[in-house]
Amino acid sequence: MDDQSDVYTDNSQNPADKLQIKNDWQVLSPVAILYFTVSVFKHLFGNLIYLIPVLAVSYKSVLEHPYIWLPSILVMFALITLFAFVSFKVYRYRLTEDNIEIRSGIFNKKHLNLPFSRVQNVKIEQPIYYRFTGHACLQLDTAGSAKNEAKLVAIKLSFAQELKTLIQNQVPNDIMDTDEHNISTSTTEVGVGSADNLGQQEKVLNQRKLSDLVIHGITSNRIWIFLGGLAPFYDNMFNSISEWLSTLGIELTELFNLQTRSLFEVGLYVLSLTMLVMFVLIGFSVIGAIVSFYGYTLSKLDDKYIRRSGLFTKHEVSMRLSRLQMIVQKQDWLDVLLKRINLKFEQTHSFSQNQNSSAANSKIIVPSIKPDESQALIDDAYPNNSLNNLVCNDRFTPISKGFILRNILFILMPVWLVITSFTIMNDKLMTSILVSVLFLGLCGLVVLRWKRWGVAKDKHFVYLRKGLIGVDYYCFPTYKVQQTQFKQNLFMKKRQLATVKFILASGSLMVPMINENLAYELINDGLYQVESCQKSWM
Amino acid sequence: MSATHFSNPTVSIEQLPSILALDKQSLCKKYAPINRLLNLSLTLLFCLIGTALYFQSVVNLSADFLYSLPYIIWSVALLGFLNTWFNYASDLAKNYTLRELDLHYASGLFFKKVVSQPITRIQHIELKRGPIERKVGLATLQVFSAGGDMHTFQIPGLPIDTAQQLRQFILQHKDVVKHG
Repeated sequence: MDDQSDVYTDNSQNPADKLQIKNDWQVLSPVAILYFTVSVFKHLFGNLIYLIPVLAVSYKSVLEHPYIWLPSILVMFALITLFAFVSFKVYRYRLTEDNIEIRSGIFNKKHLNLPFSRVQNVKIEQPIYYRFTGHACLQLDTAGSAKNEAKLVAIKLSFAQELKTLIQNQVPNDIMDTDEHNISTSTTEVGVGSADNLGQQEKVLNQRKLSDLVIHGITSNRIWIFLGGLAPFYDNMFNSISEWLSTLGIELTELFNLQTRSLFEVGLYVLSLTMLVMFVLIGFSVIGAIVSFYGYTLSKLDDKYIRRSGLFTKHEVSMRLSRLQMIVQKQDWLDVLLKRINLKFEQTHSFSQNQNSSAANSKIIVPSIKPDESQALIDDAYPNNSLNNLVCNDRFTPISKGFILRNILFILMPVWLVITSFTIMNDKLMTSILVSVLFLGLCGLVVLRWKRWGVAKDKHFVYLRKGLIGVDYYCFPTYKVQQTQFKQNLFMKKRQLATVKFILASGSLMVPMINENLAYELINDGLYQVESCQKSWM
Repeated sequence: MSATHFSNPTVSIEQLPSILALDKQSLCKKYAPINRLLNLSLTLLFCLIGTALYFQSVVNLSADFLYSLPYIIWSVALLGFLNTWFNYASDLAKNYTLRELDLHYASGLFFKKVVSQPITRIQHIELKRGPIERKVGLATLQVFSAGGDMHTFQIPGLPIDTAQQLRQFILQHKDVVKHG
């Protein structure tokens, strides 16, 4: 198989020349200085976000003393550049046949040694400033902790690609050595096929147009995160906006004055103003979606899914089909209206925890696709699944109505009773009415939650439906289960109900209050499938 | 794993081994009494501190606080006692089962819970022993899967020998040897 690894690389020149194992320490290309500078910046400003409110309050006094802030900014720049340069100088990497070593760090020296067979995930990232020189970052994830993650900071893009194929081909070789016989025969077949360059064609599964991304921007609720981030500035923003408007001859206080204008008029103003603000915010969200998903393609090479996207920084994430833990089909209420779906291919949880900043970028998510496209993708990953059938015929087993009773009677009701009796005793009728309305609304949500929640299973898969106003569908192969939990309290026992929790490597899924027998069946069958089929979960 | 040993008979759902019919093993007999002792002495300690506060004259405490202190002490004592009693009862209800291919741990008096961990999905095992556990020869078996730290399977209050045996059994299990 080692000889065939050449065949796997897609470069037409003889890649073995480039990939030949240099047993000495390599230096990065000088472009890396840029990368280190930027990462220091990101690091600094990531922390500085907390300081922004302080700066915003005192920025006038800061601006009044240019002798202080100008030199200090210059010194900061110089320090950062120096730091980046030294980081570049001390960074060394070495590739051996099945192993990568990275030495880095100025104060804390780090020596990382990572066998290729332990690599879970290979990610190529190309920041915008690397695009002119044709460099890229290669990130190698392991199943372990964040400390075990390697990043080759500035290597040629073509080299990164070759290295990626080399590393990813290392894994099946390993499996073949230890695992079943018939797998090995099938791989050799693929090997033969690849010699004819048949099995090696990358198949594009999905592409997203700009219009799709606009829809994704509108439907995904990133606006609220943005709003939260802006919270400290509301006061300032409002002041400056009203100042600006008054220079245009519009007085806000005049506009919203109920004494001089009719309620209808003011209402109209408020409505149009909120619409305007919403419009701007949605615009931001759309821009965010375009930045992260521009030029989106999802393709498949053998059993690997590859996602490429990004306007400024191009991301390439690839994942083996065997690493896929669960498929999640998410639909928010707006998605339901627009008939769009966000499809997520979930893999092991630890990856997304590793890079919390770029978590969205390291996941394989297909934004805002149409139902038939989503179904095609799901069928491609899990050929035997019957999700579509279940959804169309509504064959999910609903959870017990006791769920509504429990949540309203034992959680919402006591709180509501306490608050209303308290407010009524204190003669605050208005508050108690508001609280009651809120209570009714929450009860409605509980009913909706109950209505959405359902479970189904077939021979190989377990399906879960849940949601509130939107609907999410979860589908996972039963043998991927890591652990099961069966829960039942005395009330539930009396009514023969039970709660089941499946723990997967990508997170846990709960099915509350289903029939006891179904719960036992789910767990017994789940355990049986895990233990009887010798397939690895990875 | 070669093809000659392969067999795949049809299994109906009713015939599957059920977690309903587990052969329950109770924890070490010392576990519940020791926990009860610990809880009681903790309650007693709090009450003693409270009483000491009440009768001391080194620190000046407000009159209001001193007035309510006896009530606090009594309620702590009562709650502590109830808690101890409840914990003792639930400790007695805890049990575990080792089957050929999976481990189960059941707990809870009013809120019953059965956690099942297939051995083939185990990543690594730890035996945890605090100072008191070492003193009385108990151990806690922790089993980690890829489900994350939140879902660590653990069995407390095992006699150390049993815990070692369980550990050995899991480590030498064919599924772990193969996938670990």
